[in-house]
Order: sequence, then structure tokens, then C-alpha cells
Amino acid sequence: MSTIEIRGLTFTYPGAREATLRNVNVTFGEGDFIALVGNNGCGKSTLCKTLNGLIPHFIVGDMSGQVLVDGRDTKELEIGTLAAKVGYVYQDFENQIVCPTVREDASYACLNYAMKDYQEKGRKALTVCGLSSKISDYVWQLSGGQKHLLALAGMAALSPDILILDEPIAQLDPAHADGIYEVLKKLNEKYNKTIIVIEHHTEYIARYCRNVVLLKNGTVKWKLPAEEAMRRVDELQESNIFPPQVTIAANRMVKEGILPEETVLPVSIQEGKEIFGPWIKEKDQKRRNSEVKKKDEVMASFQNITVRYRSVKGEAPKILDDFSLDIRKGEKIALIGSNGAGKSTMLKLLMGLVHPESGTVKVKGKPVRNMSKEELGHTMSLVYQNPEEMFIKDSIRKDIEYAMKVRKIENYQERTEELLAMFRLSDLADRDGRLLSGGQMRRASLAIGIALNPEMLLLDEPTANLDIATRREIMRTLQMLKGITDTVIIATHDMQLVCDWAERIIVLSAGYVIADGPREQVFSDMYVRGQVGIRPPQIYDMGRGLGIVDSCFTIDDFMDHFRDRNREENREKDRGEKYA
Amino acid sequence: MHKLTENILDKLTIDYLRNQVLKNAYGNDDTVIAKLDPRVLLIWYLFFGLVPWFLNDVALLLGLFLFVVMTTRAARIAPLVLFLFCVGVFSQTGYLFIVALFFGGNAETIAPLLVMTLKVAVVSLASITVFSGLDPDRLANGMLWFGCPGQLSFSISFAYRILPVLMEEFQNILLSFRLRGNPPQKKTFIGKIRYLGYQIKMIIQSFYPLMLNTAKRSRTTVEALELRGYRYSLQNPEVKRMKLAMLRVTRQDMIFVVISIIWVAVCVAISAALQDML
Amino acid sequence: MNPDNKITQSQKMMVFVLSMSLYGLATLFTELIPSFQVGIVEFSVEYFLFIPLTLAMLFDPLSAAIGAAAGELVFSEIMLGQFGGLGELEKFITVTIGVYIAGRLVKDPRRRGVVAAASIIGVAVQQLMGCVVDILKVQFAVEDFEAVAGLPQSVFFTEGFACLNDILFSGILFCMLPTMYLVPKLYGKIEPLLGMKPRDEKTVFSGENSLSPKIIIMSIIGFAAAIVAELLASGGYELIDWEAAWAGSTTNIIIAIIIAAVVALVAIGVIRNRAAQAER
Repeated sequence: MSTIEIRGLTFTYPGAREATLRNVNVTFGEGDFIALVGNNGCGKSTLCKTLNGLIPHFIVGDMSGQVLVDGRDTKELEIGTLAAKVGYVYQDFENQIVCPTVREDASYACLNYAMKDYQEKGRKALTVCGLSSKISDYVWQLSGGQKHLLALAGMAALSPDILILDEPIAQLDPAHADGIYEVLKKLNEKYNKTIIVIEHHTEYIARYCRNVVLLKNGTVKWKLPAEEAMRRVDELQESNIFPPQVTIAANRMVKEGILPEETVLPVSIQEGKEIFGPWIKEKDQKRRNSEVKKKDEVMASFQNITVRYRSVKGEAPKILDDFSLDIRKGEKIALIGSNGAGKSTMLKLLMGLVHPESGTVKVKGKPVRNMSKEELGHTMSLVYQNPEEMFIKDSIRKDIEYAMKVRKIENYQERTEELLAMFRLSDLADRDGRLLSGGQMRRASLAIGIALNPEMLLLDEPTANLDIATRREIMRTLQMLKGITDTVIIATHDMQLVCDWAERIIVLSAGYVIADGPREQVFSDMYVRGQVGIRPPQIYDMGRGLGIVDSCFTIDDFMDHFRDRNREENREKDRGEKYA
Repeated sequence: MHKLTENILDKLTIDYLRNQVLKNAYGNDDTVIAKLDPRVLLIWYLFFGLVPWFLNDVALLLGLFLFVVMTTRAARIAPLVLFLFCVGVFSQTGYLFIVALFFGGNAETIAPLLVMTLKVAVVSLASITVFSGLDPDRLANGMLWFGCPGQLSFSISFAYRILPVLMEEFQNILLSFRLRGNPPQKKTFIGKIRYLGYQIKMIIQSFYPLMLNTAKRSRTTVEALELRGYRYSLQNPEVKRMKLAMLRVTRQDMIFVVISIIWVAVCVAISAALQDML
Repeated sequence: MNPDNKITQSQKMMVFVLSMSLYGLATLFTELIPSFQVGIVEFSVEYFLFIPLTLAMLFDPLSAAIGAAAGELVFSEIMLGQFGGLGELEKFITVTIGVYIAGRLVKDPRRRGVVAAASIIGVAVQQLMGCVVDILKVQFAVEDFEAVAGLPQSVFFTEGFACLNDILFSGILFCMLPTMYLVPKLYGKIEPLLGMKPRDEKTVFSGENSLSPKIIIMSIIGFAAAIVAELLASGGYELIDWEAAWAGSTTNIIIAIIIAAVVALVAIGVIRNRAAQAER
């Protein structure tokens, strides 16, 4: 079994002015389960790349200090020897998979290092990762979650003592995310591997990890046991890490004097029950459930749609089966459901990118099939999941103005400047979209999406792959759309976004609508929750756990039940502040 | 010609192309051909790819042609690829024929050209059978066995992995252009030409984002390859031996070879008989 | 640090992968869409050559050139089964040489003039070599080439015209202009994505001339190999056939086939032996 010891490590990328890592000193013990946290650009990924020898063996740069794996300096170890000790799964796992079939990819590394039983090793790793039924599949047939597991299996096959994963659940729905962490837990407990994850989903950290290392400005601020780390709410928030909602709620309640000063902050719902329980003021329903206001004008409608995809082999699978739905003007719709439930297909149908086998899709009463792409482009706009595919020009300004310019819209330059200012992109206007940070890219893609003032906006996973601070920023941006584009449909896994923003939630499962209504209704329906693996924000479950009748979708909703008076006023005030 | 072009361009959406390519690349891994030993197939190809070049007997060539048509059928090749094959073969020699007529050739010119067409057809179909019909990893291993560099077999296997990803990305980028762009009207003839020009410009421009996005990808890929010991495998002959160890000539291979030999023998006999009759 | 800005092995590999996937994808599409003509302009595979040309001017030219050739071979030839056997070697070598030379000529990718000149030279080199090989090929492949009325003239005319047309018209429209558009645009943006410094006079070719005699000689040798490969592939065996004046009798055809089979097997044996020796 291996330990990692880092002594005085400083690293500067070639051409960079400042060091990315500064005098890092830390030890990772054997059999540990560690979360590495810190804000964007604090050097988390760089630190991990020093552990597996990518730095300094392949990425040249200025490195001083030592990284010792099992007491041996990585500088002197061969990359092959190191690979057998330290496995690394990229955040960009899709590009880590290099073979066309699952079987080959799992055993690829073992074969390359000339291990006699490479096939056996690959098969075993697939079994551990729960992919044994997919062994004969092609990689492109897998879902996102399965690909991530395959990337993990490809590394685990070498049976390294240490496994490093960079943001393993960023793009996954909760059910698949749980799947990944259960595999990691098994590897950790049963096979005694050291697991290091870069993670910002603190609920998972609290549930699975043993220790947390906080990196700030390229140096280790502290290393603490997970529960204790989660309780350092203020320090974490400074680094844009948001501890579990129950912890934040408790922290705020201590500050407001609702909970006593010496309260040990809870990090899970279980602990929350004990701590919040005695202090609750009222459990009754005071608030009226929000309702979907029946709006009259139908914006778009799906009538008995059946869609199949062209299959490569055998019977073409049905994505949607006899599917009907109306979308009214002015609705804010969240489309949820597990990966592959048909969410993206719905958006594509609206844009006329996919045509149904039977049935009609109508937009403003006109069948989509009879409308030209340009006509559709005026009514609707689709923002892809991957913003990089929205950038077709070499600067954001050109990208935003492109659609207006080619349509010869007057004053397009002014409108572009307006949009740039509105999305706080003016300073970045001449940079290439792809070279921006994740949040900036999203904002830019939204600006491109609404450039033509579409009546309806379709967003595919607008918060995927973003850390929580950036997600909040995107939510604020969505609020700004009010008044410009009033009908918005978002396909997403992000339940916080759903709770904060959506007025109508449509739940898809295997091509059927299994729930359709306001958030209270959808989330309280346990059957629906079980079916699609959706999970409301932790604070909602906390409220339920305490027997509060109202649905708590935000920490403020929750805290209202602990306050004495002027509850309504307080809440209004808080709302105001939140979006200020 | 222009009409035809127009027609083809309208039908061939990127989505359709993508599906056909995927079908051809991944959809036929359970056929008789795909299960054969790649080395046997490559040797078989060496025969059917070389011998027709120095045969001039129409009957014999026709016999071989029929045989490769059957193997192509057995390999379940995507229709588009077959269509392309036909267009390719007949435009190659047909074109030459017309020009030859123009320069004062006559009907006699057609005979050598017909023979040449048959030659090309046999060789092409044999190559389609082998290279489209085989599994990517088996093909890569087969080539490795014949001494092709390890890089080539990596390229084959990687190409099959990356193709669907790249196609999807290309499709999405083109879509961005289509949804946001404003192509010229294609009602008039001039409009059609301008429309075609617009399309070509769009495709060229879409390589700007595609290059940058792919550059991002390939960095991760190469780093992952380093970690997963790709370079070791190139230097270590043991790895090659292990890869090749899974190749085995089975009874199916023998049956295939025997059928091929009998077929060729029968064809030779028939052609000989025909010649005697004349 | 990396003071002399040498390109590392893995960076070369990145350029190879990049060039292979992009050019491969492009040739796959052009292979699928049959070439068609508008007036005198013919649209076909060669015109996506701007992709490897651009990459060769920005990064290591040799990796980009070999990557492009490999991409075409794997994606369009092998994947679609359009593999022409040994004959593919010709395309492989000419594309590599053309792209490589063009890439070597550019020292500062920001200068559009140089980029334009280099790309058109690259195309011309590639096309001319292709043209020569094509003419020789038909000469060998068609029995009694000289005897068929009108054939020699038509071949020289069509091939020559196609070549000139390709270089002047299509080469400018579809190779030079896109390369001129892309290279300066990508310069300084794409390199950091691969963890490299943008090319300038100091970085890529330390001290060497852009077109040293060594490179020219290597190119010529490569071209000769291409011709030999192509002729071997399509017509070479016909020589034996022809001189022996065998054609006609069935027995002779059978003998020919057997000889061919034996030659094929011997060839395999030789290749195997070589490979085995290389392993040791």
C-alpha cells in the first residue's frame, strides 16, 4: 500500500508569470478517501498531475520540491512504474477513452504494460465498476455515466494503490452520481485503495470522504477530517465552496441567534434532525403552494409524437412514444429526467432538427416541418449543452452579432454592445469564446442565444460542469431574461436551478411524461422521485424529515419555520437581497 | 450532372451520412466475414486484389466478380458505400471512354475499357469486403501481424473510437451556422450557385471552431495515452506477441478458403471451356 | 523549463492525432459525397488539404503531414473499404511531401503572403506528383496503351488539364484562401491548447534552412518510392505477362494465377521475416 508525501512543491507552467503551486506540503495516507477542494484555478488539477508523474515527465515546467510515492521521488520513477501505483481519471473523461470497444479499453493499459493476464484484469475492473454487462459494446453506445465508469475501469485495471478522479460526477444525474461514488467506496473499503477526488459537491464529500484538503492560491490551507472541514462554512464559502445546505442553514441560524452559539453544525440530514428538531417553531402550512397559472396562448405543441433514432444495428429504439404536450406562452419550464429519457430529443424536435416518425410538432400553430430553419431561428433559439459548439467565430462579439448581421438587422452593433454589457462580457468581447472560463462561456452562449430576441428559448443543461458559484451566476443571468424572452424551457439535472427558477416541471421517463406540475406537486410525489432518480435539494428533504408541511426549496424557506414573527416580511426582504 | 448533384446534396444530410458511416463501421461485426481470421482475409485480399490486374479473360473476371459480390453481401456493407463504389468504378473508366471517343476512338476502344472496369470492380469489392467487413481491432491486429508499424494499428483503432465523437461535434457546429446564418435564396439558377458557394464557405469556416475544439481534446487524449503506456507498447515486442496471440485460424477460415479456391477453379474451368468452344 | 523550445514527443503526438482526426473526417465526407463538377471546377478530396496545411504551418510540419496522410488512409480508405492496396502508398507519400514542404516554408505564420505562397506550392507539389503517377499508371494498366486510338492523347490531355486546373483554380479557391483565412486566425490561440508556444523564427527550426538539400533529396526519394509502389500495385505484374506473351491460353492463365499466389505467399513470408527480425 502506498502513501504520498509532498514536500515544498512549487510548480510554474512554461510561459506563466506566477507559480501555480506554491510550497505545497501535504501527506496522503494509505487507504484514505480524500476530497481536494478549492476555487477554480487554485491548482487542484495541477497538483494531481504531479502525483502521477505527468508533471514533470510530460508537462515541462519549473518544478522544485519533492513528490514522494512510497518514499520514492516521482522524478526518478519511470512513468510506467508510477502508472501502476497512481491512476488518474480526467474530468474530460470522454477523451481519455482511446479504444472503440469497452473490452479493449478496459484492458488497454494492462496490455501496454505487457501484463500476461490483461484480459482478465480488464474484465475484473469492469465487474468492479458495474459494467460487466456492457463488455461487448462500442464506447459510443454508452451513456455519459457509463463512459465515466469505463474511464475509471481503464485505470483501475492496473490495480494502482491510488486513484485520482477529477470532478467525477459533474455531468451526471443523481442516480448515476451515486453509482460512481458507490464504486469508489467499494474500491476504498473492499480493495483498500486510496481515493483522491477533486469535488465541489459537498453533500457527496460529507457522505463519502474521510478527509478534505483545501487548496487556496496554489498552497494547502488545511487538511481536516471531512465533517470538521464541512463545518468551516465561512472559509469554504470564501473559496466558492458551498457546504451542504443543512450546514449552511445551521451556520446562518447560529449567526441569527436562532440556534445557540456552541452548536456543532450538522453535515447530514440525520444530524440535522437532532440539531434542528428542538428549535422548530411551526410545522403547519402557512404558505400557499405556487400554482401553474393557466395561460391561454399555446406557444408550441407536441401531438402524438413517436420518435425513433436511426439505429446502427437491429430494431431502432423509440425515444418518444405517442407523446403529447402543450407549451404555453410565458411559461418557465424545467424538463427533468435521467440521462437518455428524451429531454434533448424534445428540444431537437422543437427546433426541427429531428423529425418524428408520426405526429406533428407545431410552433405557434404552424407545423415545424413546414417552417424553414431561418424562420424557426426567429421564433426560437437553442443553447447547446456544450457552449464550445456555439462559438463559430473568433471573438464573442462576432459570435453575438453574427445572426443579426447576416439578417441585416439595423443597429446590430448597438444591440451587440447592449448584450455584451448585459451579460458582463464587454471586457472579454474580443476574446475567443473557447478560451474563457466555464462561467464566462455559458454567459456568452446565452447572449448568443437571445441575440435575435427569440420568443422562446431552449436551454440544454445550462449549469452542467460548473461549480456552484458559477451556477448561481447563471441563475442570476436567467432572471435577467425576464421581459426579453418570456417562454423558456430548460433541460437539466440541476435541482437547485429547478427549485429556484421553474414554474412548471415536466418529468420525463423513458419517453413518457410521468409528472407535470408545480414544484411542490412534483417533489412530493415519491413515486416520481423513485422512478427517475431525481433528487430535490437537501434542504427540501431536511424540511420533510422534520415534519414541516410546507415545501422548503431554499434555505430561507427553511429558516422561516424557525423565526418568530414577521416571517412574510423577512422572506420578501431576503428574496430581494438574493437577486440584488 | 448539375441536377443530379443537386438531388444528391438534398438527400445527403450530415445525419444520414453519419448513420451510414456508423452502420458500416460498427454495424456488421457479427457477420460471417467479421468472424474470420484477419490474416486469412488479408491474404485472400492479396489474391483478389492482385490477380485480376493481369487477367484479360472476360468470363473469368465475371466469375471472380460474382464471387466478390457475394462476399460483399455476406459482409453486410452499408448501401451508401456500395453506391459510392458503383459511381466510383463507372465514372473512372466511363469518363475515359467518352474522352477517348472524342479523340477519334471507336467501339473497339470499349473492350479494353470494359476489361479494365471489371478488374477495378473485383479489386474494389474485395477491398470493401475485407476492410469494411472486419472488426476494427481484428483488422488492426491483422495488419500488425504482417509487420505494419504499431502506430498504424493504433491509428485504426483510435479512428474508430473518435469518429462518432468528431461527427457529432461537426454536426453541431454546422447546425450553429444553419440556425444563426441566413443562406441566400435558391430559387433561381444564380441563387443556386450562390447557395452552393455559401454551403462550401460554411463548411470551410466550420473547421475553425472544429480545429480548436479538437486541439483541446487531443491534449487530454495524448496525456492519457502516455499514462496508459502507449509508448511502452511500441517499444516492447512482448506486447505485440500478446496482441497477436489471440489470432487463431479456425475451421470457418478453412471453409472460407476452400470455397474460394473451388470457386476460382470452377471459373477457370468454365472460361477454358468457353474458349475451347470459340 | 524548456529553454530551447524543443517540441516534445507527446506534443508531436498531439499534432499527429489532431491532424489525423480532422483530415480523416474531412476526407471521409468527401469520399461519401461523390466528386462533382460545376463548370471547370471539380470538388473532391484534395481540397480539404487546407486542414493539414494550416496545421503544418502552425506546428511541427512532419507530424502534421504524416498525420494527415494516415488520417486519409484510415478514415476514408480503410473504414469505407476503398482501400487500393499498395497504390495507396502513392497518395500517402505525395500528401506527406506536399504538406511537409509547405509547412517548412513558413517561418512566421502571421505573414499572409508567405502562408499563401507556401500553401500553393504545397498543393502544386502534391498535384504534380499525383499527375505524373496517374499518367504512368494508365500507361501500364491498359494493355497496348499506344495502340488504342485516341487513348494516349486523351490521357495526357485529361490528366494534364485536371492537374493544371486543380492547382490554379481549385488550389487557390479551396486551399490557399482557406489556409490564409485560418492560419493567422488560429495563430496564438490553438498553441496554448496543446501546451506549446506559438511558432516564431526562433522556435521551430533552430538554425536549419527551411528547405535544406537534405529535405529535397528525401522528398525526391519518397516520390520515386511512390511511383514504384503505384506501378507495382496497378501495372507492374503486367510486364511479366506481356513479355512472356502468354495471354490467351487457359493453362497459362492457371499458371499465372498459381504464380501470383506463390508470389503473394512469398511476399508475406518476407514481410513476416523482416518483422520478426525487427523484433529481435
